[in-house]
Amino acid sequence: MLFLQLLLQGIQTGALYALTAAGFALIFGATRIFHFAHGISFTLAGYAFLFAWNAGWPWWAGSLAGVLAATLFGLAMERVVYRPIQRHEGSFFTVFVAAFGVAVVVQNLVGMLAGRGFASVDTPLSRATEVMPEIFLAPIFWIAIGVAVVLFVALSAFLTRTHAGVALRALAQNPDLLRAYGLSSNRLSMLAFALGSAMAAPAAVLTAMTTGLNEAIGHHVMLISMAATIVGGVGSLRGAALAGLMLGVAESVALQFVDTQWAEAVSFLVLFAFIIFRPSGFFGVVQTR
Amino acid sequence: MTGPLIARRALLGTALAAPFIRPSFAQGSDPYVIGTLFPMSGPNGEYGKLFTDGAALAIEHARADGTLRRPMRIQAEDTQALPQQGVIGMNKLVNVDRAHYVLVGFTAVSKAVAPVGDRAKTVMVNGGAVGPDLAGLSPYFWNVIPLAHLETQAFLPFLIRRNLKRIALVYVDDPLGDAILGLLRTELPKVGGELAGTFSIPRTAQQFGPVAARVRQARPDAVYVASFGAQQAQIIKGLRDNGISQPLIGYSALSISSVTSIPEAEGVIFTSQKFDYTGGSEITRRFATDFKARHNADPGTYNANYYNATRLFALLARELERENAAVNGDSLRATLLRVREFDLVGGKGTFDDQGNMSAEIQVNEIRGGRVVPIA
Amino acid sequence: MTAYLANLATLVAIFGILAATLNFVVGFAGIFSVAHAVFFGLGAYAGAQVALQLFPDALLACLVAAIVAGGLSLCLALPALRVRGEYFVAASLGLQMMATTLFSEAKAFTGGIGGLVAIPRPTVAGVEVGVLPLALAALALILFLTARLQRGAFGRTLQSIRDAESAAEALGKNVAAAKTLAVAFACAGAGIGGALFALHLSFVNVESFTMDQSVLVMAMVIIGGTGTLWGPLIGAILLLSLPSGLAFLPFIPATEVGAVQQIVYGLAMTLLMIFRPAGLVGDLSKGRATA
Repeated sequence: MLFLQLLLQGIQTGALYALTAAGFALIFGATRIFHFAHGISFTLAGYAFLFAWNAGWPWWAGSLAGVLAATLFGLAMERVVYRPIQRHEGSFFTVFVAAFGVAVVVQNLVGMLAGRGFASVDTPLSRATEVMPEIFLAPIFWIAIGVAVVLFVALSAFLTRTHAGVALRALAQNPDLLRAYGLSSNRLSMLAFALGSAMAAPAAVLTAMTTGLNEAIGHHVMLISMAATIVGGVGSLRGAALAGLMLGVAESVALQFVDTQWAEAVSFLVLFAFIIFRPSGFFGVVQTR
Repeated sequence: MTGPLIARRALLGTALAAPFIRPSFAQGSDPYVIGTLFPMSGPNGEYGKLFTDGAALAIEHARADGTLRRPMRIQAEDTQALPQQGVIGMNKLVNVDRAHYVLVGFTAVSKAVAPVGDRAKTVMVNGGAVGPDLAGLSPYFWNVIPLAHLETQAFLPFLIRRNLKRIALVYVDDPLGDAILGLLRTELPKVGGELAGTFSIPRTAQQFGPVAARVRQARPDAVYVASFGAQQAQIIKGLRDNGISQPLIGYSALSISSVTSIPEAEGVIFTSQKFDYTGGSEITRRFATDFKARHNADPGTYNANYYNATRLFALLARELERENAAVNGDSLRATLLRVREFDLVGGKGTFDDQGNMSAEIQVNEIRGGRVVPIA
Repeated sequence: MTAYLANLATLVAIFGILAATLNFVVGFAGIFSVAHAVFFGLGAYAGAQVALQLFPDALLACLVAAIVAGGLSLCLALPALRVRGEYFVAASLGLQMMATTLFSEAKAFTGGIGGLVAIPRPTVAGVEVGVLPLALAALALILFLTARLQRGAFGRTLQSIRDAESAAEALGKNVAAAKTLAVAFACAGAGIGGALFALHLSFVNVESFTMDQSVLVMAMVIIGGTGTLWGPLIGAILLLSLPSGLAFLPFIPATEVGAVQQIVYGLAMTLLMIFRPAGLVGDLSKGRATA
C-alpha cells in the first residue's frame, strides 16, 4: 500500500516536473541556450499568482498573471541577456554565468519585495483525503495530471500542425538549421522562449498550492528540468516530459527502499547513471558535441 | 574596450580601498559597535530581520533611558546562515569595526565564528540557535536562549500528560536535530513514551508528501518537527496535506511568522523560553508594547532574545562605565560572572559559569495565527 | 585591519587555487566541471582529519588531501571521457548534488551538517605557521605548474583535444589518458585548496562545498577569462572582495544588506558576461564558442 501511495504522489510531482522540463527542453532544443534562469520563470509565475490570489483575483486571472510573468521574463532574458552574448559568440558557459547572475538578482529582489521565507496559497484543493484504505489523494492530484495532459496535447498539436511549430521542431532536431534559417531564427528563438517559459507557469501555480513557494525555489526546479532534459535526450520534448515524470516518481518511490534523506539524491543518481551508460537519453540521437 | 576596463578598475579600487575609508577608533563618544552576524539574505533571511528588530529596539530603549554615556550602533554582516560567510564577517567585525559585542545566530555559524572571537577575546552572544553543543564553545561565547536539550526535557512530561506517547521525529540531521533525536531516544522511554520512527530530511528538501506516507505508516500519536526556517512551514503543510491528522509538535524555531501564518499550523504545539507579556515585569511589558507599536505585531521569542542580548550588553557596559573601566571581552565577562543575574524581558535571567542563561520553559500552541502559552 | 586583510587575502589565495585549477580543465582541456567544490570538500575533510587524528602538519594535510581528491577525481574523469558539452555539465551537476548528500550523511568522515570543529592550527616541521604564506606558496606553485604544463607537450595535447577532439585522436594523441591526467591534476590542486581552507577556518562543514560554491568558482574563472594564466586569480579577487567591499557601504538598511550585496554580485556577473564575454583578461577577439 505504501508503494501505491508513493507512486501516486510521485506521479503528481512528476507531472509538474514534466511541464517545466518540457519548457526547458523546448528552449534548449530550439536555441541551444542553456537557460539556467528557467527556474526564475517558475518563481515569478508562482509569486505573480500568489499576489493575485491574495488580492482577491479569481484563480484564472491569477493563473493568467502567472503565465504572463513567466513569458515576459523569458522574453526579456532572450532579448537583453542571451542575444547580446550570442552576438559575441560567447561560449556556452558565458551564457551559464550570465543566467546564474540574473537568477541571483531576481531571487533577492523577490525576497525583498515578497518577503523571505515560505508562502503558499491556502486552498482546500491540496488537502488529501482517504480515497481508499491507506491511500490519500488530494483533488490537486487530478488537476495536475489533467493540466499536464491538456498542455502536452495542445503543445504537440502546435508543434505538428502549425508552421511555426514545425520550424521549432526542425531547429530542435537539427541545430545547424539555426544558421540556415537566417533572420527568422530570431523570431523563432523568441517564440521558443515565450512558449517554454509559459510552460513553467502552470506548474508554479500548482506548486504554490501544494508545497508552497520560497524565493529560492527556482533553483531546484531548474536542476530537475536540466536533469530531465538530459535524461530524456536533448532535442526531444517527449523525452524531457517522460523523464520529468520519471524523476518525480523515482524521488518518491525511492522512499519504499531507502531512508528519507536520500530522496533528493535519487534524481541525480539517475541522471549520472544515464550520462555514463546512455548519454543519448531516452529518445535523443547520440551527440557528443 | 577602455570603458569596461576603467569600470573594472574603479570597482576593484573601491572594493579594496573601502576598508581604509572609515577607520574605527572606538574612543570617547564614539558609539559602541554591536556587530550582528545574521542571515540577511537567502532562505533564512527571515530570521535576520527578527533578530535585528529585537536588538534595534533594545538600543533605542537604552538611548531613551540614558543607560550608557556612549551611544550604541549596529554593524550588520550578512552570513546567509553559512559558516564561511560567518567567518569572513566575524573577522571584519573584530578587526575592522572593532566590535565590542557580537550577536550571532545559527548553530553552524556560531561554531565557525567562535574560534575567531575566542582569539580576539570578543564576546559573542547567541539568542537564536539552540544546538546543545553551543554551550562552552569559548569563555566569550554566551547563550541567552535555553538550549534545545532543556526545551525538550521540559516538554516530555507535558506530552505524556496529553497521552502523546508514540512520537515520530521528522528532523534535519544537523547538530540540533541530532541532539533532539538523542534526547527523544533516551528520555522518552524513561517517562513511558517511545520513539515511533525517525525521518531524516535534507535541509533543502521541498516535497514532503512521500515523507508523510512513511510517517503515517509509523502510526505515531504526535509528530515532532525539528528543522528551522521556512522549511518548517513546508513540512507542516506537507504533513497536513497528506493525511497526517495527529498533533504536530516542535521547539522554539517554530515561532516565526512564516509558520504561524499558515492555516495548517493551527494547533501546532511547541516549547520556548517563558515570556509573559501582559502580567510580567515592567521591562517585559514595555518591550511588548513598544514592539507592537513599532512593528504592528506581537513580539516573538527571537525578538525578545536579541533584545535581551543587547540589553545585557548595555547593563554590563553601564557597570564598566561607572568604574571607568575599559569595555572589552575580558571586562564584560568578568562583570557577567560577578553580577550573574539581570533584569531581562521575561523576568530574571541567570547565567552559569560558561555564560549560558537558564530560563523557564513554556509550552505554546498556535491558535488563529498567534502563539498562545498553554502550559 | 591587517588581520582582516590577511584573512581576506588567505581566502583569495585559496579561491585563487580553486579557480586556477578549474581553469586548467576548463580553459585548456575544455572540460566544463560544475563539481569543483566536491574536490575542494574532499580535500578539506581529508586535511581536517589528518590534523585532527594525526598531527596538524600542513604539508602532510595538503599531501593527503591532494591524494584523496586526485584519486577520487576518477568520478569526474569517467563522464568526461564519455560525453562533452552540456552533457558533461549535467553529469558534473549530478555528481555535485550526490556529493552534497554524501557529505551530509557520511558523519564519520565529515561530521555531517555539524561539520568538523576545533581543527588545530597548522604547523610545518613542528613550528606553528599562518595559513596565508602556505596558501600563497601553493597558489604560486600551481600557477607555475599550470604555465609549465601549458607550454609543454601535455598542454599542447590538451589544447588540441579542446579545439578538435577527433582530430587529436586521429593524430595519435592518447585522449583518454590526457583528459584523466588533466582532471586528476586539477582535482588534486582543489584538494590542496580544501586542506588549507580547513586549516584556515578551523571549521568545515558541508555548506562550504555545495553547488553554489562550485558555481562561484566557475564564475571566477569565466569572469577572469578562461584559458588565461592570471584571469582566474583576478576573478577570485574580484568576486571575493566585491561582497566584502559592499559590506562597508553605510547607507544600506541593516535588514537589506544581504540582499543588496547579492543583487550587486549577480548584476556584476551578468553585466560582465554581456559586455566582456571573454572575461576581463581574456582576448575578446578570441572569444570563441568552446562548448
